[in-house]
Amino acid sequence: MNNKGYLQISFGWLFAIIVGAVIIFLAIYFVTKMINTENTIQSAKTSKEIGILLNPLETGFESATSTFIRLPEETRIYNECNNIGKFGTQGIQTKQKGIGKKWTEVATEVSFQNKYLFSEAYIQGKTFYIFSKPFEFPFKVADLMYITPASENYCFIKKDIPDNIENEISDLDQANLKLEGTCSEDNIKICFKDSNCDIYVNYNVGYVEKQNDKMYFETDALMYAAIFSDKLTYECQLKRLMQRIEQLSNLYIDKENLIALRCDSNLGDDLSILSSSASNLEDSNALNIVYNNAQDLEYQNRGNCRLW
Amino acid sequence: MVGKNKSSRGQMKTKKLKISNLHIPKSNKAQMKIQQTAFMLLAITIFFVLVGLFVLIFKVSSIKDTATILQEDNAMLLVSKLANSPEFSCGTAYGTLKADCVDADKVMALKENIQAYEGFWGVSSMEIRRIYPKGENIICSTINYPNCDIINVKSGKSTEYGIGVSNFVSLCRKELIEGYSYNKCELAEFIVSYEPVS
Repeated sequence: MNNKGYLQISFGWLFAIIVGAVIIFLAIYFVTKMINTENTIQSAKTSKEIGILLNPLETGFESATSTFIRLPEETRIYNECNNIGKFGTQGIQTKQKGIGKKWTEVATEVSFQNKYLFSEAYIQGKTFYIFSKPFEFPFKVADLMYITPASENYCFIKKDIPDNIENEISDLDQANLKLEGTCSEDNIKICFKDSNCDIYVNYNVGYVEKQNDKMYFETDALMYAAIFSDKLTYECQLKRLMQRIEQLSNLYIDKENLIALRCDSNLGDDLSILSSSASNLEDSNALNIVYNNAQDLEYQNRGNCRLW
Repeated sequence: MVGKNKSSRGQMKTKKLKISNLHIPKSNKAQMKIQQTAFMLLAITIFFVLVGLFVLIFKVSSIKDTATILQEDNAMLLVSKLANSPEFSCGTAYGTLKADCVDADKVMALKENIQAYEGFWGVSSMEIRRIYPKGENIICSTINYPNCDIINVKSGKSTEYGIGVSNFVSLCRKELIEGYSYNKCELAEFIVSYEPVS
C-alpha cells in the first residue's frame, strides 16, 4: 500500500482490457477480411459484367462495330488467355482503385469460352473502347474484340494505308482511333510504309512489328488484333481461334453428311485438311499454310450447296 | 446528545455493512465480479457472432442475387445475338447474308456434338421451336428430322427450374423436291434458359 510507484490495476480492469483488446483485434481482422471479400466480389462482378457486355458486339451484317464501356472507378483489366480444353478460355480480371486510391490486391478471374479479346496484357482507365470485327477463315469463326483505354490514342499514318483500312477507321468513328491530320504528338503511331513508328504494319507480307516483336496475320481482323495486343496475347488468342476452326470444320463435316442426300457439297476432305492444319499451328509464322487451305475451301464452297 | 446520536447512527450503518460482509467473503465477491464480467463478455461475443452471421447470410444472399442477375443479363444479351454466332448462323448458305437466321441443318449437327460445347455459352439450355407454320411440337432427332418442330440443342440439368428468354429467328434448311435442292425458311423462336443460383 505504501509503494506509490506501482500502478494499481484490479484484476477486473486487467481482464477487461485484455478481452477488450482481443475483441477489437478480432473486429479489425474481420472488417479487413470483409473488405477483401467485398473487393473480390466487386472484381468478379465487374469482370463478369464486362464479359456479358461484349455479347451485343456479335456482328450480323456489319463488317465492324464499335462501342464503349464506362466504369465507375479507375480500373485495370487483365487479359488472360489459355489454350486448355477444346476452345481454350478468355479470362478477364479486374482491379479497381479502392480506399486511399490504392489498387485492390485481389483480382478474381472470370472466364469465357466464346470470347476473343485482343489488348495489351493489362489496360487501365475508366472508359474503354471496344470494336469488334468478324473473323472469317473461310467461314465465320468468331467476332474478334479489340479493347483499348480511352486515354490511349492510336494514329494511323495515311502514307500507303490501304483504302479499305482508311475507310473502316473513318467509318468506325471511334474517338481514340485517328487518321493522320487529327493526331497529336503523344499518340501511338501506326505506319504502313515507314518502319520508324511505334507500330509498323507490312500489309503485303502480312506482319505487324511492335516492340521488336513480329506478329504475322492474314485478313484485316487479325491485323487489328496484332496492332492492339502484345505478342503473347496475340499468339494465344490465335491458337484459340484455330481450336475453334477445328471444331467448326468438324461441325461442317457433320452437316455435310446430314444433308448429303438433299444437297451434296463434297467438301469433307478439304474441311478435314483445314481442321488438321489449324490444330497443328504452332505460331503465327505458319499461318499462311492454314490460310491457303482456307482459301481453297472458300473457292470450293461456291456451288449451289454452300455449307456456310 | 446530538453528537451521541450521530455516532450511534454511524455505528448502525457500520453494523449493517458488517452483516452483509459476513455473508459473502471477499474472495467470493471478486469471483462474482469476474463471473459477471465473463458473462457480459460472453453475451457481447454471442451478440457479435449473431450480428456477423446475420451479415454473412445477407451477403451470401446478395451474392446469389447478383449471380442470378448476371446470368439473366447474359442470357438476355446472348439470345439477341446468338443466331449470328458461327455455330448457328446461316451465313450465305441460303442465298445472301442473313441476320438472325439459324441454319437448322448445322444446328442438328451441333446437337449431336453438343458435349464438345459444354459451358461454351454459359447457359443451361437452348431450344429452337418452329412457330410458323405451326406443327405438333414433335421433338427433332436424326431419325425424324426435318419433319419435326423442336430442336433441343442443349438440355439443362433441371429444365423445370430454368428461366427462358427468347428471340424470333428465321430457321432455314435445304429441302429436296423432285430431285432439286431448294432453301426453305420458316419462323422460329430461339429460347435460351438459365438456372437461378439457389
